[in-house]
Amino acid sequence: MPPKNLVQAVNEAMMVEMGLDEDVVVMGEDVGVDGGVFRATLGLIEEYGPERVIDTPLAESGILGTAIGMAAYGLRPVAEMQFSGFMTPGFDQLVSHAARIRWRSRGRFSASLVLRAPYGGGIHALEHHSESQETIYIHTPGVKMVIPSSPYDAKGLLISAIRDPDPVVFLEPKKIYRAFREEVPDGDYTVPLGQCNVSREGSDLTLVSWGYVHRLCLEAAEEAQEKEGLDVEVVDVRTLSPLDFATIAESVKKTGRVVVAQEAPQTLGFASEISARIMEELILHLESPVIRVTGFDTAMPYHSMEHYYMPDVGRVMRGIRKAVNF
Amino acid sequence: MAKLTLVEAVNDALKTEMREDDRVVILGEDVGVDGGVFRATLELIDEFGEARVIDTPLAESGIVGTALGMAIYGLRPVGEIQFSGFMPPAYDQIISHIARIRWRSRGRYEAPMVIRAPYGGGIRSPEHHAESPETYYAHIPGLKVVIPSSPYDAKGLLVSAIRDPDPVVFLEPKKIYRAFREEVPEEAYTVPLGEAQVTREGSDLTLVSWGYVHRVALEAAEMAESDGIDVEVIDLRTLNPPDHATVVDSVAKTGYSVIAQEAHSVSGFGSELAAVISEATFFSLKAPIERVTGFDVTIPLGAKEDLYIPDAERVHRAIRRTVNF
Repeated sequence: MPPKNLVQAVNEAMMVEMGLDEDVVVMGEDVGVDGGVFRATLGLIEEYGPERVIDTPLAESGILGTAIGMAAYGLRPVAEMQFSGFMTPGFDQLVSHAARIRWRSRGRFSASLVLRAPYGGGIHALEHHSESQETIYIHTPGVKMVIPSSPYDAKGLLISAIRDPDPVVFLEPKKIYRAFREEVPDGDYTVPLGQCNVSREGSDLTLVSWGYVHRLCLEAAEEAQEKEGLDVEVVDVRTLSPLDFATIAESVKKTGRVVVAQEAPQTLGFASEISARIMEELILHLESPVIRVTGFDTAMPYHSMEHYYMPDVGRVMRGIRKAVNF
Repeated sequence: MAKLTLVEAVNDALKTEMREDDRVVILGEDVGVDGGVFRATLELIDEFGEARVIDTPLAESGIVGTALGMAIYGLRPVGEIQFSGFMPPAYDQIISHIARIRWRSRGRYEAPMVIRAPYGGGIRSPEHHAESPETYYAHIPGLKVVIPSSPYDAKGLLVSAIRDPDPVVFLEPKKIYRAFREEVPEEAYTVPLGEAQVTREGSDLTLVSWGYVHRVALEAAEMAESDGIDVEVIDLRTLNPPDHATVVDSVAKTGYSVIAQEAHSVSGFGSELAAVISEATFFSLKAPIERVTGFDVTIPLGAKEDLYIPDAERVHRAIRRTVNF
């Protein structure tokens, strides 16, 4: 069980599932011969051939639309969009068709497909390559929305997503594609969809996040312990839709204080949904309002400016202090 | 001063602005000869001709993409999408291009354009004709989002939207297109973007909504009055940029709040408002903010939509639950 990074874990999830289930096919721009823009599909075409690892034209709407047809007729397509900022040309296929096929056909058809895309900033990319647009998919009924933050979870969640009978949008935080390695079991295992992970236990404050920002939160929790003597519980949401609110609620009842951190812009970011829900259902347990630490309500800036935009440990720490000293 | 319906007020806004400013052009499916699917552009082609009232192919992405080019080069296009459920094919143009042109060009270009669409349920329409997708636009930096709830506001807000230097998504609650009439001045006037309106003053609870559900909220406030609950009703009118001050000041006064919307709950605009209000008025709140919303499913077809769209009864029950918390 050699340590693997997040993008290797994604690759392995597809490699393993394609071996176990011949209905699984992979498609997207450069996913075959080239092995994917971030090499997430490396080696798949050699193992499974061009009939199951399909290099498509540069046409996101076509990739997704074709995947819907494949899924409705029994395959389990895993479609890759090169960057989540390129998913918008496929938006109509996703919200008007993939998300609704079960509902529209009164259960006769389903779209058992996965739409994978690298997402988020932090690699000094160009325009449309750094967005965090999870809200758009969370707000769409019928679509599940997953964002892993570690290699182990990435593999287990992606296998669950491929086996799920409904469409799953699977966003991969590309800043940590190769940031660290951890033990990832060979073979198949699943991390269930719809379950948060308490990745650090604590009693003073609940720190909720997902994706890359979850790594920051773990660092911030250490710093809060060292510098402020605060015992922070860290929750990795992992599946944003459907949300495992029970785990968050249990933690909040214990701590009474919450910070939610995300990379996306603040207005209508998922932190607002979590905040609204906590305030609505747990107000009597709260000792301070839910504090949101977020990107800003602007387009994601280019290159060297992106570190002003993305939350860092310092900003998460300020959020923690604000909640604790409220 | 004529008494107009909401859709007539929209038509009047377009006509008035086209007379005042020859840069204003209209484009969309059937907006010309046919006068628009809901007759919002009725007779505009007769007065202004087909160079300014353009019947387009059935291609939403093309309509707004063309409008963007027109706007960059100095026109003030108003694109109509027949139903807001048909906007997703244009989504890439709207969020990847229209919303960003000012930012991308570092202020060298701007996109003074409006995308109009009838929105929401309540008219027994087929699939894709009844959505409330305001979240998809209000979350996107660079776009303004406006939803009127009355004929007077519809005209004034649309005139403001046309004159605004940035792109505005203007969603018209089609259930109340012809529900009632009110006095609408003949001349051009503006209702400023970014300002909520307190449409009913009260001291016991703040009820926030927009579009059709604002009419429901006014009804629910009357029902609460008979319980002795004095409800203040706020019509948000512009969702982005939001007027937090008006809402927060009201909740600081009343201590109780209910937010009602037609869109489903998860990441609906009500969630954003609830988060903002709770953070800003934490010590003034005497109860949690309840959200009355559609359900987290696709809006159902036919008569089932009545079960989905909040009605005055549901809002009234939430008001009572909140004050009795």
